[in-house]
Amino acid sequence: MSAPGKTEPMEAIARARAGDADAWGELYRDFAPAIFRFCRRALPTREDAEDATMEIFMKLRDKLIQYDQTRSFSAWLYKVAANHCWDLLRRRKSRQDKETGDLENVPLEHPDPSQLEKLIEQRTSEEVRRALAKLGARARMALVMRYYSDMSYDEIADALGVRRAFVGVVLLRARHELRQALGETGALAAGGAL
Amino acid sequence: MNGTDNPSSGQTGDNRPADPSTEHLDEMTCLLYIERQLDRARAQEVSAHAQECGTCRTLLRAMERESRLLTRAMLEEEEALPARIAQFQERARKSMQWIWGLAFGLAATGVYALYTTYIEPLQTQLDKAGFGGSNLLSLLIFQGAFWEGWKPMITLLEVLAMLTVGGFGFAFFRRRVRRGSALALVLAGFCATAALAVPPAASASDFRRGDYVEVKQDEVVKGDVFLFGHRTRMNGTVEGDVYLFSEDANVTGHVKGDVIAFAQSLHVTGQVDGNIRAFTNNLTISGEVTRNVLTFDESVNVDSAAKISGSMTIFVKSLSLDGHLGRDLLIFSEHTGISGKVGGGVTAKGDSLDISSTAEIDGPVRFDGNKEPEVSSQAKLASPVDFHKVEHKSRYQEGHYYIWRVIWTAAFILLGMILLLLAPSFGTETVNAAERIGAPIGLGVLVFFGVPIAAIIACITVVGIPLGLLAFALWFLILNCAELVVGTVVGNWILGKATDTWQLIGRMALGFVLVRVVYTPLEQVHPLGILVGLGIWFWGMGAISLALYRRLQPSLAPGFPSGPVAPSPLPPNTTIGGVQPA
Repeated sequence: MSAPGKTEPMEAIARARAGDADAWGELYRDFAPAIFRFCRRALPTREDAEDATMEIFMKLRDKLIQYDQTRSFSAWLYKVAANHCWDLLRRRKSRQDKETGDLENVPLEHPDPSQLEKLIEQRTSEEVRRALAKLGARARMALVMRYYSDMSYDEIADALGVRRAFVGVVLLRARHELRQALGETGALAAGGAL
Repeated sequence: MNGTDNPSSGQTGDNRPADPSTEHLDEMTCLLYIERQLDRARAQEVSAHAQECGTCRTLLRAMERESRLLTRAMLEEEEALPARIAQFQERARKSMQWIWGLAFGLAATGVYALYTTYIEPLQTQLDKAGFGGSNLLSLLIFQGAFWEGWKPMITLLEVLAMLTVGGFGFAFFRRRVRRGSALALVLAGFCATAALAVPPAASASDFRRGDYVEVKQDEVVKGDVFLFGHRTRMNGTVEGDVYLFSEDANVTGHVKGDVIAFAQSLHVTGQVDGNIRAFTNNLTISGEVTRNVLTFDESVNVDSAAKISGSMTIFVKSLSLDGHLGRDLLIFSEHTGISGKVGGGVTAKGDSLDISSTAEIDGPVRFDGNKEPEVSSQAKLASPVDFHKVEHKSRYQEGHYYIWRVIWTAAFILLGMILLLLAPSFGTETVNAAERIGAPIGLGVLVFFGVPIAAIIACITVVGIPLGLLAFALWFLILNCAELVVGTVVGNWILGKATDTWQLIGRMALGFVLVRVVYTPLEQVHPLGILVGLGIWFWGMGAISLALYRRLQPSLAPGFPSGPVAPSPLPPNTTIGGVQPA
C-alpha cells in the first residue's frame, strides 16, 4: 500500500529518527495534508480533525522508531492515524449512543440493482461527503480506512477491534447507511435499503 | 440468497450461488468479489454467474461505481489545509526553543551551584594550602601539558559560557548551512579560535628519545623539551617546560618553566622556576622550586637543602619534609613526617603525623587521622595541632548495606512494574522520549531545579499550598521513577526494543539492576557518584516530563489563527475494485 506517485521518504525518515528537526519538518509538510484529510473524513468536526492531526504527529515522533522500513511509510502512517481516530471516537460517549444497535439490529435488504446504479450516477462527490458526515462513527471509519487510505481488511479489523470475517459486514452496512443518507438528501427514495 | 445478515457467511465463500437461472448473488458476495476478497475458485463462480445473470451484473457494476464514487469523494481536496496545521511544526519547534534556552541557562546555573557547593570549598582549602591564585582544576587541567597558553583567559565559567555560546552557534548555523558545510564551519571556527587564542610557542619543541637521554650541562634549550628514555638527565638550561617520561629521571640543571614527569624515580637537585607536577614512585627534591608542587607518588622526600617557595599538594604513601616550604602543605598520606620549615599551614589527612623537634610551622595545623599526631615539644608551631580522629564508616563494607540495596532494587522494580501495568502507553512514550538523550537531559535540568522552586513559591501564598504540595509530590514521584526510565532504556539497548508491556517490564528490571550495579560502586567515589546520580535523574525526569509535555501539547493548539494554505501533495492510494464483471 504505497502512495502512488510518491517515493518513500527514507532519507528523511532516517534523519528524523536521528532527531533531525528539519527532517521532521519535511515529513510533516509532506504528510500532514493527507493525514488531515483522513481525520477530516473520519471525525465529526474540522476542529477534531485539526487536533487529531497534530496529536498524530506528536505521537509519531515517539513511534517512528518502531517503523519497519521494509514496509510502506504512508501505509504505516495511515494505520497510526486510524488507530488514533478510532480511539478518539471510542472514548466519546455520544458515539456509543449512536452506535448502539446500528450494526446488529438494522436489517440488510437486497438492493434493487438498477435503483442503486441510478442513485450512484446522480450523486456528486460533495453529496457523498455530506452523507458521510451523517454516518455512525464505525461506518464512517470503516469507509474512510477502506476507500481513502486503502487499508486491507486485516488492518481494518485490527484498527476497529473486530474479527476479519466481520469487516465485510461492517463495510456493507456502512454502504447501506450511506445510501440511506444519500437517499434522504436527494429526491430519490431508496427502496428498501435504497 | 438475498439475505446478508449472516456475517460468518460473507468472506469465506460459503454463499454459493445456486442455479444461476433462479438464484441471485447476495450483496455481501458481490462486495467481497469486487474487493478481491474471495478465493480464486469462488471468484470464478461469481464471474461465471455474472456473465449469465443480468441482475447480478448490474449490481456488481453499481457497487463498483459506488466504490469509485466513495474514493473520489474522499480524495477530493475541497478545503484548504488550515494554517494552524501548516504552522504547527514550526510553532512546536519554536515553543521548544525557549525551553532549550531556559534549560541551557539552568544547566549553567546548576553547574555553577555545584561548583560553588563542592569545588569552590575545595579550592579555598587548596588556596589555604598555599596555591594562591591557582586552583586544583586549573592546576590539573588548564595549566596542564595540553593547555599551556590558555591559563590567562580561561576559568571554569568561561569554559561553560563558551560551550553554551558554541552550542547555540552550532544550532544557528546548522539550520542555515548543509550539514557537511556546518561541520566544516564549526571545525574551522575551532581551529581559528585555537590559532588566535594559543600564543605562538617561543620555539619548536625538542623531542629526545633513547635509552639514555640528556640535556647536557652547557646546553641551552629555548623551548620545551620532551625526554623519553630509560634514564633521563636534565643537566643544562631549558627556557620552556621539561617533560620527562622515564624510569630514572634527574633534573640537575635550570628549568625556567615547569617540570612534568612520569617516572619511577625523579630526583630534582637543580632549579625549577615554575611548578613540578609528577606521577612517580619516588620523588626526591633537593633543589629549588620557585612555584608549587603537585605530585602523586609512593614516597616523597624533601631534603633539608630543598627550598620550595610555593605550596605542596601531595597524594602519597609517605612524605618526609626536611627542607623549606614557603607556603601551605596539603597532604593525603599514610605517613607524614615534618622536620623542616613550613611557611604556611598544614592540612593533612592520613594514618599518622610526626612533627619533629626541628620542625617549624607558621600556620595552623589540622590533621584528620587514625592516630594521635606525635608532636615534639620542641617543634615551633603557630598553634597546637587541631586533631580530628577519623571515624570509619563501614557502610559499604557491611553486608546489610548490600542486602538493603537488593531490597530497595526489588522494591523499585515492583514500583516500575505496577506503573507500567497501570499506564503501559505512557510508559512506552516515556521510554521512547528517553531514547534521545539530549532533549530529555535538557528538560530534566529544567524540571529538577524549576519545579521545586515553583512549588516553594506556590506554597508561600496560602492559596497555593495545595498546588505547591501537589507539584512537589509529583516532582518527587518523577524523581524516583527517573532511574527506572533510564534502566528501561538500558534494557532496550541490550535486548532490543520491547513490543509489549511485559517485555518492557523485563527490560526495565534488567536495565535497572545493571544501572544499580554500576552506580553503587560509583556512589562511593563521592563527586563522581553525585555527577552520575544527577545525570540519571536529569535524563529520567526529562524523559517523563517530555512524555507529559507531548501529551499536553495539543491543548496549546486552540486559538491559533486559521487561514488558507495551499495543500501539499500526498495522494493516498486510489485503487479499489476488482474484476469488472462481464
